Amino acid sequence: MLKTAALLLSGVGETNPASVEDYIKYGGFKGIRRAVAMTDREILDEIKESALLGKGGASYPTGRKWEQLYNIEGDPKYVVCNADEGEPGTYKDRELIKHAPLRIIEGMLIAGYLFKAKRGIIYIRGEYRNITDIFAQALENAQKAGYLGKNIMGMEGFDYTITIVNGAGSYVCGENSALLNSIESLVSRPRIKPPHLAEVGLYSKPTLVNNVESYAGVAVLMNIGAQEFKSYGTSTDGGTKLISLSTHIKNRKTYEIRIGTSLRDIVFDEELGGGIPDGKEFKFLHIGGQAGPLCFPEQLDTRYCYEELKDAGLTVGSGAIAVMDETVCLVDYVKHVMSFFAYESCGKCTPCRIGTTRILELLTKFTTGKAVPGDLDRLEDLSIHVARLSLCGLGQAASTAMDSALKYRRDEFIAHTRGVCPAGTCKMD
Amino acid sequence: MNDSIKKHGLTREEKLKIIHSKGADREHVLAILLELQAQSEMNYIDEETAGLVAKEIGISLTHVFDIITFYAMLEDTPQARNLIEVCTSAPCYYTKSGTIIEILERILGIKMGESTPDKQFKLSFTECVGACDIGPVIKIGDEIHGDLDEEKIRQIISNLKAENQ
Repeated sequence: MLKTAALLLSGVGETNPASVEDYIKYGGFKGIRRAVAMTDREILDEIKESALLGKGGASYPTGRKWEQLYNIEGDPKYVVCNADEGEPGTYKDRELIKHAPLRIIEGMLIAGYLFKAKRGIIYIRGEYRNITDIFAQALENAQKAGYLGKNIMGMEGFDYTITIVNGAGSYVCGENSALLNSIESLVSRPRIKPPHLAEVGLYSKPTLVNNVESYAGVAVLMNIGAQEFKSYGTSTDGGTKLISLSTHIKNRKTYEIRIGTSLRDIVFDEELGGGIPDGKEFKFLHIGGQAGPLCFPEQLDTRYCYEELKDAGLTVGSGAIAVMDETVCLVDYVKHVMSFFAYESCGKCTPCRIGTTRILELLTKFTTGKAVPGDLDRLEDLSIHVARLSLCGLGQAASTAMDSALKYRRDEFIAHTRGVCPAGTCKMD
Repeated sequence: MNDSIKKHGLTREEKLKIIHSKGADREHVLAILLELQAQSEMNYIDEETAGLVAKEIGISLTHVFDIITFYAMLEDTPQARNLIEVCTSAPCYYTKSGTIIEILERILGIKMGESTPDKQFKLSFTECVGACDIGPVIKIGDEIHGDLDEEKIRQIISNLKAENQ
């Protein structure tokens, strides 16, 4: 069975990404044309039928999310695209912005049509300023071709524009409520929920926030039809998925895989990751971003789809798959992950602000030979508190990687309390 | 980027032009500040510039500084002509960004967090810039350089020195 496909990335490398003519050659704007010939109910059913799951990290069914917003009264409604791709190890939205901006625009346009929104906003992280121009060019071309602006596709009253808003370096901004605050020119600290963003979103109006890849997915499924789209994945997780491979793997690249491909194939198949370079042994992979769990060799036969990953204690998350070889010390690794969260914590809530720092201090005891056996319990205790009491996903997921390391490789922590680093990288004084 | 502007800093008119070209409204405050910073001589937003932004888009000066001090890419103190940021997120760190740091420190004769005496270069850290396919990476302005070795780093630095002449 084929492991890759080109739906989201169809035409990449053969087209001028900002060209409407080129995009149309690859089925572009067929999705919106189909949508306008359907009733609202049919559009919603089509998206639900496709089993498209949101690609921002939570894997929430896109059709259900759209239906919820559809059923909420309120005007105007806003359509927001989260392109604040900040999970370390993730660079798949970058590929879509760079190579298929019009597919994102079409997905946002379909949302605009369904919700009778006048404004769409794409929030692109500041670190991607160098590719923002490509997206701006695509917007301009779409407008010239009559797919944005007034009376879109000649339809009276179908007015819709898309604005680019730039970020400026804040991981927590990827959290949807923080992102809306940032668009409103506030600092990007998350909001307390409820209320849900569908009800009280941007400028306190009903708002749809989806990831870049989700919008591109809607454009594709509306083009080829829900049934065909779904057939690329599983019955509950339809279509394809962009994954970003990094670190100790031969082919560091973003791949579009058919959902349901096994993790082993993703890492070792020549068509995909191609295995571990320099003759080293595979040790673990970090799946779904820094906020995701670690996956060890005995879990590699899990198929990459929402349900199987969930059953195995793993996650799709951001689509990042960082592969680590035998030279990496597990304790040092989770310490590094924790230092990221301690740095990125926005400081709004105490459990995250103080808790991530305390965990980092404890882990530093392990990597410097100062840990005592009781520190293992202290780590677990802190982890529970930070995960349960933090306000947003950042703190709630900060110790996910550490928890999975403690669950499956406790021995490596215990060895550190005895002054031994099995990988030989920690200086144990 | 226009080097003559960078060398002499921006005039008030040039700043206004940037603010208005980016939309001059609240939603674009980050894009405005990033562009002003990129075109400033020392890669930061001074109080006068912050005040101008506040006035033009209709928010308070405090609000502008709240933003500048919150977002990692914005600075409120002078940096250097070229801010070299080394990515230390896991995919770069475990593909030996530490080696890149050693090379940079040796070539420039400064430590991480320091500036060269002539204020041409400053070394600092950044978190993931979304270029893990070519890690370890460094970011200089909007440019990202990857697949680095000593020769390539020397070349990048000598190119920047030539540009600054």
